[in-house]
Amino acid sequence: MNDVVLLRAHTRVGFLDLVRWPGYVVPTLLFPAMFYVLFDLPFARRHAGIANVTTLAFIAFAVVGVALYQFGVGIAQERGRPWERFLRTLPAPTAVRFGARIATAMIFGVLTACLVAVVARMLTPIDLGWSQWTLVAVYTLCGGVPFVLMGITLGYWTSPRAAVPLATASNLLLAYGGGLWMPPDDLPDFVAKISPYLPTRQFGDLLWSVTGYAHAGPAIAGLAVYTAIFALAATLGYRRDEQRRYS
Amino acid sequence: MILELKEVSKAYGSIQALRRVSFSVDRDEIVALLGPNGAGKTTAIEIALGLRSADGGSATVFGESPRRTAVRRRIGVTPQDSGFPDMLRVAEIVEFVAAHYPDPMALSDVLSDFGLEELAKRRAGTLSGGESRRLALALAFAGNPELVVLDEPTTGLDVESRRRLWRTLRTFCRDRCVIFTTHYLEEAEVNATRVVVLDRGRTLFDGEPEALRARVGRRSVSYVGANGRVAVRPDDADEYVRTLVRSGNHFSDLEVTRPSLEEAFLALTGASR
Repeated sequence: MNDVVLLRAHTRVGFLDLVRWPGYVVPTLLFPAMFYVLFDLPFARRHAGIANVTTLAFIAFAVVGVALYQFGVGIAQERGRPWERFLRTLPAPTAVRFGARIATAMIFGVLTACLVAVVARMLTPIDLGWSQWTLVAVYTLCGGVPFVLMGITLGYWTSPRAAVPLATASNLLLAYGGGLWMPPDDLPDFVAKISPYLPTRQFGDLLWSVTGYAHAGPAIAGLAVYTAIFALAATLGYRRDEQRRYS
Repeated sequence: MILELKEVSKAYGSIQALRRVSFSVDRDEIVALLGPNGAGKTTAIEIALGLRSADGGSATVFGESPRRTAVRRRIGVTPQDSGFPDMLRVAEIVEFVAAHYPDPMALSDVLSDFGLEELAKRRAGTLSGGESRRLALALAFAGNPELVVLDEPTTGLDVESRRRLWRTLRTFCRDRCVIFTTHYLEEAEVNATRVVVLDRGRTLFDGEPEALRARVGRRSVSYVGANGRVAVRPDDADEYVRTLVRSGNHFSDLEVTRPSLEEAFLALTGASR
């Protein structure tokens, strides 16, 4: 059987199971756009420069949220289920199951981020050109990788009950500390000091580099370090779970 | 040999789940793995399916490691706990599983054969216990595999649903090899061509149902006679009943009962237990 066919089948099932929970879909898709309208729109309307920076920040926020929830909470809640066990008996490689999860997260991540972008295009004087949007899309996908790995780490190292509050807390704190909600320059002093070391700030910087508001170099270096750290933590967590459950 | 466990041992911490257990499933066989809870049935099945690794011994399916995708394409499995994703519809789940196999059954056939037509559009979260059990069984056959593994296919069902399920299963077990686990002695005897009895991680018996019947001891006869209820365990229950009928004495409520699983185990383990 063709792995592409299987990937499609697994993605379809994962997507349908999520998209039919309004309690998942509505907050996931709407919150970033809603927060954007509530907090940043009043400033963003005034000036194209502000609109550019705040919109990109909320695109990052949208992707981080989907990654932490979809992977962190999703894995933590599903890994012990009988269905997960049954899936292992089916003739599908592990890569297909992981690939389907990534594909599902990408669908929601892209939709959520697009909603922010659409709101910004409609209500603010945002003035990014098509070449800039293309770069934003590429940076968003690449910059999301360490957060996906962070989510997987969370999913394998926490219990199903702890996953939701932990994902929420890390999402909100990292977004705030990373300057995704308010410009880094406006952060309180002590937060401003640690901010450059947070992955969310680096993700923000990466996107902002498209407008010249920040430099891409240090951001890419920082995100690469986080990618390595969470790749290791996620792998260890996955192995530990395998050992406990299936040895 | 379709499926073979050789001298398989497995311990969970200090609990020895399997001690050098061997059994096999050959072409055209329906093998019952019989034993009480905690006998090691599920562990044996999990090792045979490559879900767990054995501490010692070997497990092969179609002569190869069951972890290979190519081997798993020839196996259909029933999930032991039927916990399906709540929001998926029955037909979607069947289609999803069938998509993994090279020559699956048609969706409409699966649905009609397992009595799921009316449920096709229902979400899995709304199924009753019996309905989700039927779906679970259908999934083992949906891919039209050569070997079917049913882990406790009828656990939790009432007697009538169990009978109905086995009627369906029997027609499907033809032309393929099946291994199922159960803790019902009767289910094993009636449906299997061979029975393997496990108890506390050991193989107690491996042979045909008739041989098991011969080993597990005598049936008991009870009836209400002129002086109230009589219960005996004669050497030959058939002969005893014949004599009773010929005697012309009035009796009612005749019962001939097989030994319970517990009694059968007593007989199999002899004095050692």
